[in-house]
Amino acid sequence: MDIVLQLLFTGLGIGAVYALVALGFVLIFRATNVVNFAQGEFSMVAAYLMVVFAVDLHWPYGWAFLASLTGMALLGAIFNLGVYYPLRNRTFLPVIIATIGASIFLANTVLALYGPQPQVLSGWFETPGIQVGPVYLDSQYLLIMGVTLVLVGFNFWFFEHTMLGKKLQATSQDKEMASLLGIPVAAMIMLTFVYSALLGGVAGILVAPILFVSIQMGSTIALKAFAATIIGGFGDVKGAIIGGLALGVIETFGAAYISVPYKDGFAFLVLVAFLIFRPQGIFGERVAEKA
Amino acid sequence: MTISRRRFTTALGASLTLPALIGRASAQGATMKIGMCAPVTGPAAESGRYAQIGAKLAVDAVNKAGGVLGKQVELIVEDDQTTNPGIVLAFSKLASQTDIVAFLGSIRSTQLHAMSPDALKVGKPVMIGGTDPALTHMGNQWYFRFRPNDSYSGKVIADYGVNTLGKKKWAIVHSTDAFGTAGGKALADALSKINGASVALDQGYSNQSQDFTPVVLAIKQSGADILGSYFTFENDLGVFARQLRQLGVTIPYVGSPSIVNITALKLAGPALYGTFGVADYAEDSSAGSKAFGKIYREVAKVAPDNQSSWTYDAVTVLCMAINKAGKTDPTAIREAILAVRKHPGAEGEYNFDANGDGLHGYNIVRNENGTIVFDKHIESAS
Repeated sequence: MDIVLQLLFTGLGIGAVYALVALGFVLIFRATNVVNFAQGEFSMVAAYLMVVFAVDLHWPYGWAFLASLTGMALLGAIFNLGVYYPLRNRTFLPVIIATIGASIFLANTVLALYGPQPQVLSGWFETPGIQVGPVYLDSQYLLIMGVTLVLVGFNFWFFEHTMLGKKLQATSQDKEMASLLGIPVAAMIMLTFVYSALLGGVAGILVAPILFVSIQMGSTIALKAFAATIIGGFGDVKGAIIGGLALGVIETFGAAYISVPYKDGFAFLVLVAFLIFRPQGIFGERVAEKA
Repeated sequence: MTISRRRFTTALGASLTLPALIGRASAQGATMKIGMCAPVTGPAAESGRYAQIGAKLAVDAVNKAGGVLGKQVELIVEDDQTTNPGIVLAFSKLASQTDIVAFLGSIRSTQLHAMSPDALKVGKPVMIGGTDPALTHMGNQWYFRFRPNDSYSGKVIADYGVNTLGKKKWAIVHSTDAFGTAGGKALADALSKINGASVALDQGYSNQSQDFTPVVLAIKQSGADILGSYFTFENDLGVFARQLRQLGVTIPYVGSPSIVNITALKLAGPALYGTFGVADYAEDSSAGSKAFGKIYREVAKVAPDNQSSWTYDAVTVLCMAINKAGKTDPTAIREAILAVRKHPGAEGEYNFDANGDGLHGYNIVRNENGTIVFDKHIESAS
């Protein structure tokens, strides 16, 4: 039982990271109908910004965090203007390829600027974790779970109870109709990219003390987060959260009780099963082709 | 203008022989070229930088001493991207330059397996740092190893753990790539030959894992009193070491060389304090190691480790062998490398055997609060 609880905690912790990045995937997909394959690189860039501000410049953690997020907001805006906006009237394929190109560009830019050395970013708390009975609770995982919970609540409030959130939803559902209603569609999409970059950035900064800061950290997380969005139902916020958490727990228990080397295999086995038997995911609705 | 048969034959002959003549002229160019596949990008980019510094230090030293066959040595580096397809591409790019006389391959066994068929086809000497014993025992006469292979590291880890630390119930954790699998097997084989020693857990993991909780819990459950490991990537070792300590595993830990490399020490920090490692490079193990450490620190501004020492030795021994052979004929260079005896390198004393293995023992070092301290050298035969 002790082992089960320990595995459950770790699985939920790593799953919360997938969920945060998956949330970014979902928001952009809802607003633009394309998958942003640079979402993982947003996490990586934010973690490096944090290293620059907190480690290299010795800024207090809080200020470094705010500065990193400001940088991410700027990156989200530039990404929208440079990658999505010029291709907005094209089919989804060129846009997706552009996001893949952008992810390679971001990874290599950071490599050129900061070098290949993995960096250490210390955790937010002086105590690395607490022992509760037989279970060790890593303080960074606790923080990640807490932040995920807060962001889920914030998302719900923002999208359901604010005018800006409703405008964003309207834009994602039907851009033409939103435009006719006087909603500034281009500004809404810009806002979505900024928010997604912030979400990816928060995930990267939070996970950096656990996985270290490296050029590859973004792509490793993004692949799982992408699987989580499909499992949860592409385009569904709660689906991304549940999908991310489920993926974290499945791979952790699969590794513990079946095979460690096939840990990643379990996650993608579940993904394939969903694609075959329930392609719309847990919360997605089946979309029928219109006649 | 009519074309006579003689003119036609002359033109045809010239067009057929000219490229070969140009190729030969370029092979006899101003510099002696050595190709190097190194991870400039990818997860091992940092260690790739160290490897290049080590090789360049050796090139500078050789050139300062008069070069090779009267020419200055030039290092041509291609990025292997830390991947198997990457190194195959990098090697084929280098191999297409006919004036390159020999190559430096990877420190990663899995990459060396991937490029082995091409290395055989090219038929020129390739210096390697991968430690999978099979690499020099699978019929590829062009691979020459500048680190002791894992059959030796397995024996030394087992010997030290059982005979010096007095622990007999082992947990083995290893990567499932070629290096980790071969290393784990070598350690298990060595333990099977020691009376009373047993393997309580033999656990593989896939590279670039984000979480090692299941592995650590398996170690706890196994009841092992000592841990041996073969980690390929420092990131993985860093995450594993931290979780090991967080989840309360405090048994003695003897790791493969990656446990003492500079990146792993930086990433894992206190989580690796008190551990032991087999190290092909230990700064205090010999006069050659100390001398290399001194010049490396001046240039790289970090402590030296095996990522740079093997490339330094590889370039030094290769140049020495070409000079001794007196020509760049691959077979002559091969024979000259195999004839190297008692060469004091940065990694230790080189005595090549018929398979192309230059080193046959390991140093045992311990991590004392982040400082790597030399303990003793164990030759495999002893």
